[in-house]
Amino acid sequence: MSGVEDPALARDFAAYFETKMPDARNAVVTALTRIHGGASRQTYAIDVAFDSPGGRIQKELILRRDPADSLIDTERKVEFAAIRSMRGIDIPTPEALFLETDPGPLGAPFFVMGRIEGGMALNPFKIDEIDPHRAAVGEQFFRQIGRIAAAPVEGSPLAGVIDSPAPEECWRRELDYWAGEIEKDRLHPEPIAAAAIRHLRRNPPPPAQRLSIVHGDFRSGNFLHDGQGRIIAVLDWEMAHIGDPFEDLAWATDPLWCANDTERAAGFIPWPDAIAAWEGASGCQFDAQAFEWWSLFASVKAIGIWVSSARAFADGENDDPILAWSGWFTHAAHELTLAARLAPKYGVELPS
Amino acid sequence: MTDIAMILDKLGRRLVSDVAPQLEGTYAGGQAGMVGLMAVMAGEAWDGAADRLVREIDGARALLKAGGVEDDTRAESLAISELTQVRDRLMGQLVALQAQIETDTSETARALNARIWGFFLASAHERMPSPPDFPEPDTEAGDPA
Repeated sequence: MSGVEDPALARDFAAYFETKMPDARNAVVTALTRIHGGASRQTYAIDVAFDSPGGRIQKELILRRDPADSLIDTERKVEFAAIRSMRGIDIPTPEALFLETDPGPLGAPFFVMGRIEGGMALNPFKIDEIDPHRAAVGEQFFRQIGRIAAAPVEGSPLAGVIDSPAPEECWRRELDYWAGEIEKDRLHPEPIAAAAIRHLRRNPPPPAQRLSIVHGDFRSGNFLHDGQGRIIAVLDWEMAHIGDPFEDLAWATDPLWCANDTERAAGFIPWPDAIAAWEGASGCQFDAQAFEWWSLFASVKAIGIWVSSARAFADGENDDPILAWSGWFTHAAHELTLAARLAPKYGVELPS
Repeated sequence: MTDIAMILDKLGRRLVSDVAPQLEGTYAGGQAGMVGLMAVMAGEAWDGAADRLVREIDGARALLKAGGVEDDTRAESLAISELTQVRDRLMGQLVALQAQIETDTSETARALNARIWGFFLASAHERMPSPPDFPEPDTEAGDPA
């Protein structure tokens, strides 16, 4: 990596870095590049060189700074705490270094993570690019969802910054939140989402088998792999919370994240293999009724995110084109998914 | 030159195929690719937007009438913005109507609810844009991560 795209940000960051690293002197940002995507935060790859008692060294970092608005309205402290909650658990995450809630140093709250070199993200629309490592990555993918579900909640950093619902209230809390987001941010009536929300309220899932840390956005596109069949980092923890472990399983297997592959779970491996990997790692038992509810909910939650994106773009709060894409294409995709799943339940015969 | 669909298509393809590759690996390059992609999609959507809205309006009005809700509000013109206003008004009423009948177990109510869901499904299909196919698209384009 080379070049400093934003010299003022580089200068401010170097000064901040020295305040957080008491042994660091003469810190200089040698490279700073904004990374495309990740509209929920402004994301920069930064190389910083500094004198330490052991000599001059360089660190490769990621800066995640809040934009004026984002895809997801969450506090950065949640993301930071969620990553820290994975310490000691076999989930590869970036090193969480600094959390800054004061907008003073860089103009907006932000946090800093270690950068994982050599990792590649998998575009959900081009999932075939994972071949020939599809099965290996898929098996890890579902085991990691399970491991997150099995991670201890009590005493975790995440439990220190957000509250825990009762097991029988997990579904209602999430549905209320995302229904509220849709109502608050919608630019037009959302008849399909509204009908889906009412359907979900009339047909609640069983209580959570256990309270778990929920990543909230675990899917293809939000992990890095090494090109050799190994997942080396799980990213984007900004929607993490405590809830029902089926939420992550259902979100990860939403059709949008695997180009509508119905044969394989999340586009990776056969469903029985995926469920076995998840059950083995999570200690939970697959429940078709719970999964059905949470997978329908996943599409409602997605519409909530896309509606908020469209609102932010239309109101001029954030003009990143990814928000327009989200408010248009992915919104349409999830409306279609919901309508195609719910219409047959209400007597509509689908063409064969 | 008034062929807006053609103009948007060509502008979008120029951005994706010529401009974005010059900026490969940069934030601006990613944005250029995505703007180009959506310009091509916008060209396609522009051509059918009024037709789609008129069909949504007619469909919603017919369902409302079947549910005993009469609304003869008409758009002042065929401008997309005016058609959208009328469509949104009718859709809002359709949401209310469906919420009212969907727990009614009578055959009449169930049949009307099925018609409403059929309408939702058909209109969702029609709103779904087809992402354009480019020979060498930006590998990150489209992922809302």
